This record gives sequence, C-alpha cells and structure tokens, in this order.
Amino acid sequence: MSDEGEELRRAVADVLRERCTPEALEAAERDGEAPGIWTALAEGGFPTVSVPESAGGSGGSVAQACAVLEAVGAAPAPVPAAETGLLGGRLLAAAGLELPEGPVTTAASPRLAFDGEVLAGSVARVPWARSAAALAVLADAPDGPVVVLVDPAATAVTPGRNLAGEPRDHVVLDGVRPLATAPAPPGAGDALRRRGALSRAALIAGAARAVAGLTVRYTGERVQFGRPVSAFPAVAAHLVRIAEQTELVAMAARAAAASAGEDGEPAGLDVAAAAAVASRAAGEVAAAAHQATGAMGMTREFALGALTRRLWSWRDEWGGGRPWAAELGRALAAGGAEELWPTVSRGLVSPGAAR
Amino acid sequence: MIFAPTALSPHEDALRHDVRRWLADTLPADFRPGLGLGGRHDPGFSRALAGQGWVGMAIPREYGGAGASTVERFVVVEELLAAGAPIAAHWIAERQTAPALLRFGTEEQRRWFLPRIAAGECFFSLGMSEPDAGSDLASVRTTATRTEEGWRVDGTKVWTTNAHLNHFVVVLCRTSAAQDRHAGLSQLIVDLSSPGVTVSPIPLIDGELHVNEVVLDGVVVPDERVLGEVGQGWAQVTAELAHERSGPDRYLSVLGLLRAFVAEHGKDLDEAAAEAFGGIAARLWSIRQLSLSVARALEQGEAPATEAALVKDVGTVFEQEVVETMRDLAAAEIDPEAASLFERLLAECVLNAPSWTLRGGTTEVLRGIAAKALTRGGAR
Repeated sequence: MSDEGEELRRAVADVLRERCTPEALEAAERDGEAPGIWTALAEGGFPTVSVPESAGGSGGSVAQACAVLEAVGAAPAPVPAAETGLLGGRLLAAAGLELPEGPVTTAASPRLAFDGEVLAGSVARVPWARSAAALAVLADAPDGPVVVLVDPAATAVTPGRNLAGEPRDHVVLDGVRPLATAPAPPGAGDALRRRGALSRAALIAGAARAVAGLTVRYTGERVQFGRPVSAFPAVAAHLVRIAEQTELVAMAARAAAASAGEDGEPAGLDVAAAAAVASRAAGEVAAAAHQATGAMGMTREFALGALTRRLWSWRDEWGGGRPWAAELGRALAAGGAEELWPTVSRGLVSPGAAR
Repeated sequence: MIFAPTALSPHEDALRHDVRRWLADTLPADFRPGLGLGGRHDPGFSRALAGQGWVGMAIPREYGGAGASTVERFVVVEELLAAGAPIAAHWIAERQTAPALLRFGTEEQRRWFLPRIAAGECFFSLGMSEPDAGSDLASVRTTATRTEEGWRVDGTKVWTTNAHLNHFVVVLCRTSAAQDRHAGLSQLIVDLSSPGVTVSPIPLIDGELHVNEVVLDGVVVPDERVLGEVGQGWAQVTAELAHERSGPDRYLSVLGLLRAFVAEHGKDLDEAAAEAFGGIAARLWSIRQLSLSVARALEQGEAPATEAALVKDVGTVFEQEVVETMRDLAAAEIDPEAASLFERLLAECVLNAPSWTLRGGTTEVLRGIAAKALTRGGAR
C-alpha cells in the first residue's frame, strides 16, 4: 500500500504544484473558491477516489483517498477534495445514491429533520457550501435517518470561513425539497464522523510535511551570526520536533486509513487515535515552525502562514482531538486491563477486520 | 524518511499470541511488572525463555539461534516488555552483543558465544561510558596495550548495568594514540571474573544498586577476545547504536503503569481522565507503528539510523509525559509503599523517568544526529 500511496501523492502533487501558487491561494481566499484548481484535480478523478465506480466515483480504497488528501493538504489546495469523495461521496454511495457532477460538500448535521417532503433546520460550518454543486447530509426522518442530496442554490447560505480563509458556511435548509433521498444504512452518521476526522488527519499530515520542508529550507538559507540558523542546536531542535510530529501524524493517518482495507470503513479506535495524534501534532508543528522562521514566517508573503493557518483550523474540525481521545480512552478502559496491550498492539494485522 | 505502515503477517501475529500465552502461564499471578528495561535480572527466567527459542532468536540456526527475522524478534521483545518480564539478565547480550558478534566477530567467537547467548547462559554488560566520556563517547581513556599474552586493559567504566551479575563486558578502549580521536578505538570482550576487575555499585536516586563502576587494573585479555578489528571500535559502536535505538524498549516502560491504571481506575473515568488516558493511548499506538516500521526496514536490510534516533526521542519523551499525566490523574501524594500497585509503579516511574531520556543517547545527542540528517537533506 505504501508504494501505491506514494505514487498517488506524487501524481496529485504534480497536478497541484504549478497551480497552488501564493497568488492562487490569495485569490481563493478572496473569492471563496478556486475553480481552476478544482477542475485540474477533478479531471484526474482525484477528489472521488474511494467512491465506487458504480456510484460515479473513481473507485479505490480509503487509504488511497487519504494519500490524495495528504497531497491536497501539502499544496495546499483550497478545494473540497475531502468532502466530495471520502466524506459526501461515500455517504451517498452507501445509501445507494449517485454522486453528482462537480464539487460536493457535507458536514455533521445533528439538527436537521426531514418530514418526507421538505427539510427543517440548518447545518453549521459547511465547507465551500456557497460554491458546491451539491450538499449531501444526514437528516432525521420519521422512519429513521436518511441521506439527502440538496442543491445549495435552494438553501440560504451565510458565508463564513476558517482561520485559513477557507469557506465554512452556515446553511439554512428550512422548507427545502431535496433532489434525492434514501434511507441511511445503520451507523452512517458515526461512519461519516470517523471519515471526517480521518480526512483532517490526512490533510494535517500533508500540511505538516510541507511545513517541515519549508522550515528546513528557510533555516538553511537564513544566515545570522555568520552561519545558517539551522546550525544552532536550539533552532535545529525545532526542525527535529517538526520532523517527529510529521512522521507521527503521517503514520497515524496512514495506519488508520489502511485499517479500512480495500473496500471497507476505517476502524473506530484507529481513527480516534489518529484524530487525537493529528490534532496535537498540528499545534506542535505550527508552533515550532513559526519559532524557527522568526518574523519572516509571520508575514503574509511567506508560504508558511497558508499552511499553519490550515493546521490551526483542521485540528478542530470533525470534533478536534479531545472528544476522540476521550472516546478512545473510554473504549480502552471498558475493555479492561488485560485487553489494553492486545488492543493497542493489534495494529494492522488484518486490515479491514472488525475491531 | 522511510517510515511506512507495515502489517504483521499471520505467522508473526501467531508468534505474538504464543509468547503472550507462555508469559501468562509462566509469570506468577502476583508478579510485579518491571518498567520495561527495568525488568529484574533473573537467570532462571532467561533460561526458560531461551528454552522456548525466544532468546537470541535472530541468531542463525548454525550458531544456536532460531534464525528469526528482525520483526519476529520485535514481536517477542514487545510482549516481554509489555508484560514487564524479568529480562535484564539476557537483554544486552541478546539485543546488542549477538548482532555485533554476527557482524564483526570471528568464527571462533561466534561458535563460542552465540550458542551460550541463545541458551540464556551468557550475559553481557556494555562498557562504553567513562567518568569523562558520556555523550562524548569518543573521549574514552581506557587503554588496551599489547603484551605477550594479548592485551593489558586499564581504565574505569561507569553506568555499567548489572556488571556485578553478568559474565562479560564489551569494553570500548583506546588501542593507539591516533590524532583523529575516532581512530585508534577498539572493542574488547572482557571476562568480568578476570583478575584486576573491580565492580562496585553506583547507588541511584531510588536506592537501587544495579548500575556499577567497573575498574580495570591491568586486566589481561587474550587476542582472540578482540571484537572486530583493532582500530575499528568507533565504526562498530556507531553501527550498534542503530540497533539499540528505536526498539520497543523506548515506549513500553510505562505499559505496566497504564495497565494498573485501567485495572484500578478504568471503571470510573470522568471525561477529563478518559481524554488524558485516550491521548496517551493514541500516541502509544502511533509511536509503536513507527517503531515497527523501523524494524521492518532493518529486516529489509536498510540502516535507518536517523529514523531510529527520531523514534527513540519521541518514545522516551512520550514515556515521561505519561508519568506526569498519570500523576495528575492519581491526584494523591505518591506513596512508594501504597497498597495500590498503580501507585507503587507510579512512585517507581517518577524516580526512574529522568533516565529514560538519558540512556542509549541523551535527547540532545539524538536531536543533534537527527538535525544533521535533516539539514543535509536526508529527509524528504
């Protein structure tokens, strides 16, 4: 899986490298969308990896989708790559619904109801809702939860954003008639939440690696007291800390993604662990990188800020680290002392097996 | 960096369960787990373990080992450390000396030492540090001078764990006064029962007496006990360190403490405690995957020295954080004689934790190694 993941990461990075320029990122922040970058990614079928071909996706595993997201996070590409495939696309596919054309978005929707005709309620912090072709969310219906596909143009969207200026919009769905609905399979909400957290871990892993490269480069070029600042042990320690946290979050995200096997869903405890590790690593990497790059790192001109502002945003999305850590802690404690090590060490023995 | 997630094969997983079952049957019910490397020195246990083929298992069959892979050994070591088993007697011989003998030893040395190591009958200590040579290992002053009988060794080694119980110590010493201080170093296998060897304990802050000063006063070492080549000691020691670092001993010191925490407090975790404990488990899970991936890389013939240094740094810093988090959760004055196993282990951890980021290379030295590789472009 690692070689295949590496190939995919490279392929996506090749598409994004020339496109995700500082100017393009500023424009995306101003306009709330980046259609050129989206089109380039979509032409390669990258955003819909892990959505079965039969449902209109590119096929592939959750691990492959996460490899794409690592490259998206590293670029960074201001587009709903996670939402379209791994999150929304798989939500639709699991309910037997076809993936529509164009960028799809989704978010946790605990306060959304469906009476069989129209929706009632709103969804907060929806990524790129204003420019998405469709919104795929869960709603409570009289006979249980349903997956609904909605045309964002039929909703009332109030623009919002995260620290990186990526759209995080408030969507009011009162009286909106869905384009399509289907009963949600059991556990669809938990599965979506897990994939949401996993997607952030993968994005964080990618952004952290980009930060690592950028920081090593800058501290190797910046000369003070007659030598590159990376030659000072105190500065070098920041580089090491960044490298460690980058490897830790990348390993966590990849291992959790691999737990899904070829066509399954990622394992709950593995995702919880990855989310907890990612959230913490994001903060540590950003802090160390800013300390190492000094005042230059704080400027809008320097590429670091576009990455660290994303790290600071993504670490809190889909729950952030704390609830996932608590969920993992409760599950392990409930398993009892004798099962603690067997559970932690189960690792990747049998990918896709139920845990 | 070459960290890649790796899965255990069904065979490796079956081995894990065999070891786990054997430990459950072998360790007494009231067994007090050691803190990873702090497991007790118990030659009887080492021999019993060797009887299962699990000591020196990576040693080839022709030298009395099991010819197992790096990952198979990793799996066994993980289970032993997770259980806090009394592994101290054979630990250095099996982790460090056996691979060094395989790499650098003469055929005669291999035939003599390796079967005894694999049988759990021949125990080694490390003779690297000296009073004036710690992190700066190349400044060792112990000398070995050529004589008619072989070599005459003079000097003082410190922090020599279990030298009072083990059979041999591998001494890093100066065999010539070269200009380049990395040249002129050699490794000699010294029999700890030789005349001229004086072992005296260096009491540690917890009052334990397992660390020693070893004074070598005119100790005679025959020529056939030179390990590897005369003058190549520095290269040999550096190669050993890649094996020493990154193993499961760098993150499992605290497993017994965590298990006792779940046993005593797992039923009544509030949200904050669940979060703190879960955060620890999440990092343990990830660090373990990193360490396993280094073992897999070693198995495939790579030499991931930088990765190993990173894992050791992350692992040992993690272990220390665990102790502080557990102390917060215990919310009691630490009592080394408490009725609670969790509290007793916590007391032991607080007193031992500082050593975790010192032994096997201090955090600062490791970060120096890693930084050099990073700034040289050793990382993608």
